[in-house]
Amino acid sequence: MDDFFFSLVLAGISVGSVYALVALGLNLTFWTTKTLNFGQGSLMMLCAMLTVFLSSQGVAMALAVLGSLLVIAALGMFIERWTVRPALRSGGSTMGWVVSTLGFGIFLQGMAAKYFGSQAVAFPEVIFTAQDYVTLFGQYVSLQYLVVLAVAVVLILLLELFVRKTVWGQAVHAVSLDPELALVQGMPVRRIILGSFMLSSVLAGVAGVLIAQIGGTVDPAFGFDLVLLGFVAAVLGGMGSSLGALAGGLVVGLISKLVGGYVSTAAEHGIAFALLMLMLAVRPQGLFGRPEVSKA
Amino acid sequence: MLEVRGLQVSYGAVRALEAVSLTAAPGGITAILGANGAGKSSLLRAISGVAPVAGGQILLDGRDITTLPAAARAKLGLAHAMEGRRLFRQLTVEDNLKLAWSFGARATPLPAAIAEIYGRFPILEQKARTMAGLLSGGQQQMVILSCTTIRSPRYLLLDEPSLGLAPIIVQQIYGFITEYAQRSGITVVIAEQMATLALRVSRHGFVLRRGRLVLEGDSRTLLEGGGESGALAASYL
Ligand SMILES: Nc1ncnc2c1ncn2[C@@H]1O[C@H](COP(=O)(O)OP(=O)(O)OP(=O)(O)O)[C@@H](O)[C@H]1O
Ligand SMILES: [Mg+2]
Repeated sequence: MDDFFFSLVLAGISVGSVYALVALGLNLTFWTTKTLNFGQGSLMMLCAMLTVFLSSQGVAMALAVLGSLLVIAALGMFIERWTVRPALRSGGSTMGWVVSTLGFGIFLQGMAAKYFGSQAVAFPEVIFTAQDYVTLFGQYVSLQYLVVLAVAVVLILLLELFVRKTVWGQAVHAVSLDPELALVQGMPVRRIILGSFMLSSVLAGVAGVLIAQIGGTVDPAFGFDLVLLGFVAAVLGGMGSSLGALAGGLVVGLISKLVGGYVSTAAEHGIAFALLMLMLAVRPQGLFGRPEVSKA
Repeated sequence: MLEVRGLQVSYGAVRALEAVSLTAAPGGITAILGANGAGKSSLLRAISGVAPVAGGQILLDGRDITTLPAAARAKLGLAHAMEGRRLFRQLTVEDNLKLAWSFGARATPLPAAIAEIYGRFPILEQKARTMAGLLSGGQQQMVILSCTTIRSPRYLLLDEPSLGLAPIIVQQIYGFITEYAQRSGITVVIAEQMATLALRVSRHGFVLRRGRLVLEGDSRTLLEGGGESGALAASYL
């Protein structure tokens, strides 16, 4: 196999699995509230920035990541309570949450620029260095890429297991199908929604740390196109489907890296949106979107 | 005891209920009757906490629950089979039952509770792994009733359990409701357009018309023409 091709595929799979995580996070809040947290990009950035900051203060790497994730989870709660809930309650124009979540994301980005500076900072190595590799089919494979892929796949599987096999997962599913019925059956719908925003934010945080690990640097603007690519992945796979998020993420990652490698890096992100438009035209419910089950 | 005092429900400018006061006798079936748009569903939805209450009080065992969130009311033992065959269509029959049980009182262990339901409605056992949305109307109604009873409720609100079903299925459903009410001794409130159907199984009936309580009485009296020369029929006009 061609070395260049192989390295592009590998990079594609690895960033693709991060897009899948972002898509999964978007799915979570979509399930419970039919809204997407477009502030996710800033949460990815903030999580990576906080990790850099904490570890620069001498905090152990694992603790730095954990601490940052806790902050991000708290921000997730805040976003649900103060940007999404008011927008949904005001009714009328039901798209208010797009502006409020995006606006909050931009606010976070501004704060990060103010307190951490707008320069890109080097992201510390969490487990492996960029030089660590193993040989696979006679090719060098970066261990960082493998870790990113493994973390993403494990998280996706865990979430899928949670939704399918546990009562609380089923309750999340129930809330997505009919929140009022869930309420009348005694499910704590408010807490489930809050939980979905926290978990969604944590997924964004993990994705942020992983992608910073691959890229090596973070800056306040980082994360903005990532959430858009995650969104493309989610729509490609079928909004709300976990398997779809994974497939969509990998497709977006692979195609954009291949186009970036063989055509032009400038087209890398553009191609994802072309893909999005194509999918919306041909199969609007996405690869794994489920049709409604209803019968009079 | 379930009591409603001067209850008002408004959807923006639309008044659905106007100062309605009534009491559901404990341990029996109470019928709420009325034509389309009379406010029956609004009443039941206000009781379980999913309709906008603009005034009045809802009392459960003497406790004011008017401002309590719906989920908390469900925890107090309210179960509500909502209008329009509401169930989780994309979940299997068994998952619907499991979920309903999981967030209920859990008075009976899950396997026993499910076995009891399958004993009563054998068709549901055959359809256990089918998505609930694909069942026939009658089968869906069986799942819905089972979802409410599997929670071991103390109060059961049923909104038009007969709607859109063949007469033979309606009989079966009503047979189940009557039998369940007797066996469990809980308080049941049935909202129905089909007055005779509900009056035959209930002890007491209330008739709503355009959001107001216009008639009430012993079910047998109402059934025999509403006392004063067809008052029941008149209230439907
Ligand atoms: N969500 C809503 N928004 C606005 N108006 C509503 C809403 N729900 C009910 N209404 C109005 O409130 C009134 C009472 O409706 P409700 O559904 O309680 O009647 P009902 O007795 O259950 O009727 P039906 O027998 O047709 O089910 C009607 O005029 C109806 O149009
Ligand atoms: Mg109704």
